Formats: sequence, C-alpha cells, structure tokens
Amino acid sequence: MTDTRKPGRAAGRSLIALGLFMLLGMVVVTALGPWVAPFNPSATSPDSLAGPSAQHWLGTDSIGRDVLSRLIIGGRTTLLITFVAVAVALAGGVVLGLLSGYVGGLVDQLVMRALDVIFAFPVFLLAIAVVAALGPTVPNLILTIAVVYTPRLARVVRGPVLSVKRWDHVEAARSVGVGEFRIAVRHVLPLVVSPILVETSLVLAQTIFTVTALSFLGLGPPPPDPNWGGMLSEGRQFMELAPLTVIGPACAIVFATLTFIVLANGLRERLDVTGK
Amino acid sequence: MTVHNPAPLLRVQGLTARFGRGAQPVVKGISFQIGAGEAVGFVGESGCGKSVTARALMRLAPEGSSVELGGSVLFQGEELLQLGENAICDIRGRRIAMVFQDPMASLNPVMTVGAQIDDIVRRHTGVGKLAARQRSISLLDQVGIRDAAQRANDYPHQFSGGMRQRVLIAMAVSCAPDLLIADEPTTALDVTVQAQILRLLMRLRHELGMALMLITHDFGVIAGMVERVYVMLDGEIVESGGVDAVFAAPQHSYTRALLDAVPRLHAPGERP
Amino acid sequence: MIRLALTRVAWMVPILLGVSVVAFLLMRALPGDFVQASAGTTELAPEALDTIRRSLGLDRPVWEQYLDWLARVLAGDFGTSFVTQRPVLDELLPRLLVTAELTFFAGLMALLLGAGSGLAAARLRGRVDWLVRTVNGILLAVPNFVFATLVVLLAGLYFPEVGIFNYTPFFTDPLGNIGSMLLPALSLALAVSVTISENTRAAVLEVSSQDFVMVARAKGLLPRTVLRNYLVRNALTPVITVTGLQLASLLGGSILIETIFTIPGMGQHLFESVTTRNYPVIQAIVLVAATIVLLVNVLVDIAYARVDARVRYD
Repeated sequence: MTDTRKPGRAAGRSLIALGLFMLLGMVVVTALGPWVAPFNPSATSPDSLAGPSAQHWLGTDSIGRDVLSRLIIGGRTTLLITFVAVAVALAGGVVLGLLSGYVGGLVDQLVMRALDVIFAFPVFLLAIAVVAALGPTVPNLILTIAVVYTPRLARVVRGPVLSVKRWDHVEAARSVGVGEFRIAVRHVLPLVVSPILVETSLVLAQTIFTVTALSFLGLGPPPPDPNWGGMLSEGRQFMELAPLTVIGPACAIVFATLTFIVLANGLRERLDVTGK
Repeated sequence: MTVHNPAPLLRVQGLTARFGRGAQPVVKGISFQIGAGEAVGFVGESGCGKSVTARALMRLAPEGSSVELGGSVLFQGEELLQLGENAICDIRGRRIAMVFQDPMASLNPVMTVGAQIDDIVRRHTGVGKLAARQRSISLLDQVGIRDAAQRANDYPHQFSGGMRQRVLIAMAVSCAPDLLIADEPTTALDVTVQAQILRLLMRLRHELGMALMLITHDFGVIAGMVERVYVMLDGEIVESGGVDAVFAAPQHSYTRALLDAVPRLHAPGERP
Repeated sequence: MIRLALTRVAWMVPILLGVSVVAFLLMRALPGDFVQASAGTTELAPEALDTIRRSLGLDRPVWEQYLDWLARVLAGDFGTSFVTQRPVLDELLPRLLVTAELTFFAGLMALLLGAGSGLAAARLRGRVDWLVRTVNGILLAVPNFVFATLVVLLAGLYFPEVGIFNYTPFFTDPLGNIGSMLLPALSLALAVSVTISENTRAAVLEVSSQDFVMVARAKGLLPRTVLRNYLVRNALTPVITVTGLQLASLLGGSILIETIFTIPGMGQHLFESVTTRNYPVIQAIVLVAATIVLLVNVLVDIAYARVDARVRYD
C-alpha cells in the first residue's frame, strides 16, 4: 500500500525548484560560454599545471590551457549533445509507444520484441559498439544515444496507453463517436505526461553519464572541442601534480547529473508517480 | 451460563486508544470483562473500534504507526499495558491468541503451513523440530484438515479460504491459550463455510476450556455462540448484557438497528 | 515449473537472434572500413582489396554472410583478431573470467550495501531513513568512472605506497588478487547499490504492512524471528530479481573500471579493440555480453518463480 504522500508533495515542489535552479544556472553559464569564459579554451600557455590563481581560478592543464574556460565551453558541447539526443529519443519513444500501445496486436508484439533486442544489450556496451562502427562525430553520438534510450521511453508511454484503452469511459466516448485522435489527446496524454517527465529526467541524468563516459574513453567529440569526459581522462596523467584538472571536470559531471536526479526525484514526489 | 467471577480472566477499565499524540481517540474509555471459559461477543459496524480494542489487548499496533493506549487491562491479575516488550511477546500466542479476519492474507506465502504452526509451538514450548511437527499435524487434524501429515508440507496458496482459516485457528489454539480472540473470523468466507468455522470454534472452545472473545458486525453470527454481548458504537460500549436478553429487548436504538439488519428466516419473535 | 522455464527460454531465442543480427550488422555498417581495417595499416591496391573482400566472402549477399557467420559462431569460431591474428575466442575467454570475477565482487558488494541500507531505512525510519536516501541520491550522481578516478587520485596523493594498479591473477596469489579487486569492485558497486537499496526499502515497507506479519507478531514470535522468516524472506525475492537485472549495468561499467585500474578483463579488451578497430573482437564481445545478460535475466525469472510459490501458480 502506498503511503499518503502529502508532505512529499511540498518536498517535491522544493526539489523541482532546486533542480530547475541548478539547470538554469548550468544552461545560462554554458550558453553564454564564449563571453563568460576568461580564456580561449584551446589557448595554450607556458604556465602549465598551475594551481588556482587570480588569473586561472581553477588552474591550468598540462599544456597550459585554462581549466575553468575548458569546463564552461566543454559544458556547451556536453549539454548540447545530451539535450538533443534525449529530445530525439523522447520523440521516437513517444511515437513508438503510442503506436505500439494504441494499435496493439501484432504491431505491438513486433515493436516490443524489437525493443527487447536493444534492451538486451548493456547500454554502455551498445553505445561503444555503435560509436565505434559509425565513428565518433557529434551527430553520431546523438544518434547512438537516441537509439539506446528510445526503448525505455517507449515502454513508459506504452503502459498507460494500454490501460487507458480499456477504460469504460473511453469505450463510452468511442461508442458515441468521439474520434480516436481526440480520445488519444484527452484521455491518454494526461496519463502519460507524469511518468514521461520523470523518466526523461532520469534518462537525462544517464545520458550525461553515457556522453561523459564515452568521451572519457576517447569516443567523444573529437578535439579540439573540450568536453568533460575527455578532460577527466587527460587530467589523469598528471593529476597528482594538478588535482584540479581532474576535480574540476569531476565536479561538473556530478553537478550536471545531480541536477537531473534532483529534478527526477522532485517530479516523482510532486506528481505522486509510483516509482518502479 | 456464567456470572461475573470475583476475579475475571480479563478486566478492562477505561481503555482508550488513539493513533498518535493529540489525535482523536478511536476507543473512548470502555470497560468490560470476560470470565474464565466465558464466551463474549463484541458487535458493531466497521470503524466502531472493536478491532482496535482487540489488538490493544495484545498490544499490537499496525506497522509503522504508533498507538497510544490508556486505562487498565488486567489479565489474570497482570496489568498488560505496563508490561515490557519481552513479557508481552511471551503472552501473545501462549495465553492470549487471535484469529484474524482475512485468511487469504494472514499466512506467510513462502513458508509451508506446517512450518508456520511449528514455529509458534517451538516458540512457546521449546520442543524439538520433530515433536513440533507431530503436534502441528495433530492440530491440523483437529481442525478438520484431511491428510494432515501431507498437507503440512503444502504452501498456503494450495488451500482454500476456509481451509486457511482452519489453519489459522489451529495456530491460535496450538498452545491452549486462556483467551481466544476471534476478530471477524468468518466475514471473508463463503456463507456455507462460515457455519463450519463457527462450529469449529465452538467445539475447540469447549474442548480446551478457553474464553472466547468473538468480534463481528453481524448479530446473526453471535447467536448460539456467546453468552454475553457488548455492543459498540463509535468507540464506546452502548449496550451490554446476556445475549438472550439483548436479543429479546434491545435497549439502545443502535442495537435495535443492528438486530433488524439480520436477515430472518423465521417468523419475527422466533430466534434462529 | 518446467513449463515456465521452457516458455522463458523460448522467449529468449528470437531476441538472441535479433541480438546476433545487430552484432553482425554493427560491423558491416561500413564495409570499406572493414576491409581496410582488416588489412591494417598497409596500403593496398584496389585489386588487392577486392581479393580480400572475396576471400572474406564480402561479395556475397548480406544474409548469406550472416548465416555463414552465425554458423561459425555457434560452432565456437568467432574469427581471428585483426591485431594478433589469434582466434578471438582464445583471447576472450581468460578475460571474460576476469570480468566475471570483478562483476561478481561488485554485485556482492552492491547487494550487501544496498540491502543493508535499504533494510535499515525501512525498519529504523526517521533519521536513518533520511540519511540513507540522501546518501543514495548523492551516490547516484557520481558516475563510477568519476569515483574511480578520484579514488586513484586520493590514493596517489595520500597513500603513494599502496599499489593500485598491480592486478595479480587469482591463481598466482589469491589474496593479492582479491585485494587488488576491492577498490575497482567498490567503484562499480556504488551506483548499483543505490538501486538495490531503494528496492529493498520499498519491498520491506510493503511486506511489513501485510497481514501475515501482524499474525506472526500475534503468535508471540520474537522480533528477530519475524524479521528473518517473515519480512526478509518475502522482501528478498524482489530484491534478488533487481540485483540480477543490474548485471547489464555492471557489465557496462566494467569497461570503464577495468580501463582505469588496468585490469585485463573483457571490458578493457573491448576498449583496446575499439581503438584499433579490431572488429571481430568487438563483435564477439558485444554478442557474448548481450547473451550473458539475457541468460541471467531468464535465470532470474525462473529463480523468482521457484522462491515465490505464489508466482508459480499464477
């Protein structure tokens, strides 16, 4: 039995607020990147592996590039890929889920089996394999991530669709002649919105992981574009001499992931969605 | 027919129960008593506090919530509300036992039926596994489960509702308690099975000389089962007396309403 | 019971086929590159490339190539590594065992940490519950490779004498082996332990509110008996299921962890192969990993049905 979550709703609201605040902060800083960053991220200097200073707030890396600037610009690429990829996955997932759930029957079975095949692969493994096959460019990264996360979102959409189809008042509406499309919009969509919002936040958090992990392994956006995962990996070489080269990107990654997790938890509480 | 003994088995005075500090009391200071070997009925609709009362006697609170109890519950001279957790654990199942309402949900799905009787037997008598299992089998037999030895190795889902209730009754009487509380024992069962279960309870009560506290919302269940009855409404006892007297001449309007609600198969004025 | 097992296995077959198709197609995505990669860094004339193509059977229709490849795979022939020219399977098996060990330790740690914290949160409530949930939230935000890198950094800064990177094979030195696996397994386990923790907490809360738990208490059973036989045994089934399903996540993460801690497992092998475009190896690893995940999922399903007598008869 689910416990009444009245205090949860208030907590949910504040979590959502916090998450949105963090998100806004990230987006604004990275969007304004080129104007906010103190240095050109690719600008090398002889002052390598420096500690924090008034000039370089987070120090410099092994070839003298400013860490802070690279974090800000790197954030642009990372977040851009994340948002676009998840948007594509969402579109694909919603379409497939609606289609599969609504039409039902053989189509549903086929679609679900096909998605099961993708589900069978460990997410990260699949991502690596696809990127390895297609080559690590930004569009390919977006495509890979979209493909990998579409099944999850499709499943979340399909569930409510299947149950609503059988509802009495939907049957009643249908018998009176209300068009399928109107039924879909009026009855199905509201049910789907809540779980989709929560799931999308979770997928966003996981995408940050996938993108940064791929670039950590060298399969991310090619240089000279800085990116958080790549920075983390490069920083490893001399990290004992300049820990900030590693701690900087680590914090950025954690912050971004945390933003979406906070959002997801807040939405979950606020919308009273029973967690999986 | 028993009368009020000078030292009744159970004497409850001014019992109150509320969920959480400052909440409205669900049981509002009721007093009653049950003599040794006596059968007493508690009748009332859902929400009147009769189940809470029963659980209060065993100090059982629903998981996750705390119940504040006030008043006095004297059982065999001991004040139950003052006892420590260990002491009350010793009394539960051993001197006071309870049969619950929903047999479908009251058995552990991942343990065999025999094991679930074994564990209460071993808890209170400390005998070994084999001896406990023999006792469990004989108990199952006593409550009317055929092929008891084999059935003891079956899981709850392999039993019907009525059979499960028999198992639960076997568990409850396994240590020959002095007081058996039956909280709506037949409400969740089919009508034909209800009569069987009630007869079983009566038989066991006579065989073991237990006092019986029968809780129900249905006056029809009480008839022929108990000697005295208490009627509860909204956390209070509104009427009490010998069951014949109350049937014949109910004092309180609510009692009258309850009696009217029993479907009659005989002419008015005749008791079933 | 047997029927259930058979249905589950039957369900698995079309998916396995689909998986094999995906694995196959993955490396046929760019046939030009494939041949180039097979030839390595040597510059070859177009006619030579064509000869290679024919010898690899690349001029035949795709479906024929697929069936051919599938037949060989089922016979145990995963092809030859582009880099070392040795059979892929020979190189893969020992590394698979290493990853299996790492994954096993990680799974065990995750189960202990997660189930323990989840149980504590559900039983003790209040501050403990809040603490567990907050820590879980934070842990979830720290990716395993970030954690691993920070751990290596900390070790390097404050414990330079402790050798992080000396992985020793099990049969050479069992204790050293386990010691070298501890930190990697922990890095891998943390994120998974959060999922297990949340599921355990939910399961224990759910079971606690069931009637049969109150009946157990009414029988006068000691609290620890109730906890062990009534609460945990019932809550355990969903928890074990969830743990099994986390295998996919563990396998995926092993790639990163093995690379950071230089552990010669399947994950590191995959990474190396990706860098060298060693397609037969990539193909084999992807296929093996997906198959393992599927198998474990099916086993978990069947095991769940065994433990939970209720489910069996549904």
